[in-house]
Amino acid sequence: MEKAIADLIAKYNEGLADPSEVQLLEQLIEAGKVHLTQLTDLNHLHNQVVQLESAKPDLSVDDRFYQMLAVEKQTHKSAPVIPMYQRMAIAAGLLVCGFMIGYLLQSDSGEKEVNQLTEQVSELKEMMMLSLLEKESATQRLKAVSLTSEMDQVSDKVTDALFATLNSDENVNVRLAALDALKPFVKSGKVRSGLIASIAKQDSPLVQLALADLMVNIQEKKSVDALKQLLEKENTPKEVKSKISESIEVLI
Amino acid sequence: MLKVKNGDLDKLGQLFERYKKPLYGFFYGLTRQQDVSEDLIQNTFFRILKYRHLFREQAESNGGEFRAWMFHIARNVHFDQHRKKKLISDDLENWQDRIGHTENKATEIQQTEELQLLAVAMDKLPLEKREIILLSKYEEMKYNEIGEVLGCSEGAVKVKVFRALQELKAIYKQLERIN
Repeated sequence: MEKAIADLIAKYNEGLADPSEVQLLEQLIEAGKVHLTQLTDLNHLHNQVVQLESAKPDLSVDDRFYQMLAVEKQTHKSAPVIPMYQRMAIAAGLLVCGFMIGYLLQSDSGEKEVNQLTEQVSELKEMMMLSLLEKESATQRLKAVSLTSEMDQVSDKVTDALFATLNSDENVNVRLAALDALKPFVKSGKVRSGLIASIAKQDSPLVQLALADLMVNIQEKKSVDALKQLLEKENTPKEVKSKISESIEVLI
Repeated sequence: MLKVKNGDLDKLGQLFERYKKPLYGFFYGLTRQQDVSEDLIQNTFFRILKYRHLFREQAESNGGEFRAWMFHIARNVHFDQHRKKKLISDDLENWQDRIGHTENKATEIQQTEELQLLAVAMDKLPLEKREIILLSKYEEMKYNEIGEVLGCSEGAVKVKVFRALQELKAIYKQLERIN
């Protein structure tokens, strides 16, 4: 094979290759079996092209470039780039301030507006929480989860996001925090069934135990099946299994 | 470039100083017009500045990543300019322009006869083929980088260079016979 390639290259260099051989050569070049430097004529030509003296730009190019850079620097200084979540935090802060000033100025009237504003603030908090949950840093996601403690009522979007975190966040601490954040909403049937469904999805002993404890606290009998499944799993640690057995006994 | 992306705009000056000549050579090779090439450099760096937040680094240590990104932008800038020019002028005018500049070039740059002939042959090469040869010249024949610029594999780039060189050689031989 190698000899055939060498023969082909020699033939090409002598200018004797026919179109089908040139095509074959192209395939070999594409596959990396023949290097362009091996084709003496073309390589010589290529080197000459490289040697061709390049035209040089005029000095006015420099002037124009540095002028543009100076303008950009000025605008860059006057408008610093603020990350999205900080912008939202500032927006929320301003809204709260506005709300408080408005409240102080006309505490008697405009109850409707106040309600509207409160709603807007909580909507903003929700948005902030959802966007923080997307962050790569676990600390930021923890912050997001803890934001829910400041909310009196939460929308389905928030509980869905908390469940998504509880079920699939890579960090155990964030998952535990999500579970804590869900505790105040256990009265809702949807949240309860979500928690039961989550039991089977957990592989961390800490989260499994925390869920089992919570089930006992809220006396959720429907969770017994899911807990039993954990008992049957091979990779559930012994300590967790004994604790879960206790929980099941209490629940039954 | 990472420093520029993070707000240290002075570093762009260094990149400009390093790459303005190859970039100018690339544009001049494509257009043969000094003022147009200078405008294109300005436009390229304008886009680099404007879209600096889109620059993603992988291995910037040897400057390769930035160079490929810059040539990618440079190609787009040239493509946009070429399209605009096509809309406003007919082909005949273009040809007259190019022939005129080729003659000027032969007198303005003192090179060997062989290289002068090669420069004329380059001008006669179709734009697409001229571009790949210029890219291989100014990207220092790093075919993987050129692949990034053109969005194709390293092997495909080599074949393109091979075909362009073959055609260049044919044009060169033809010119040699006429002379």
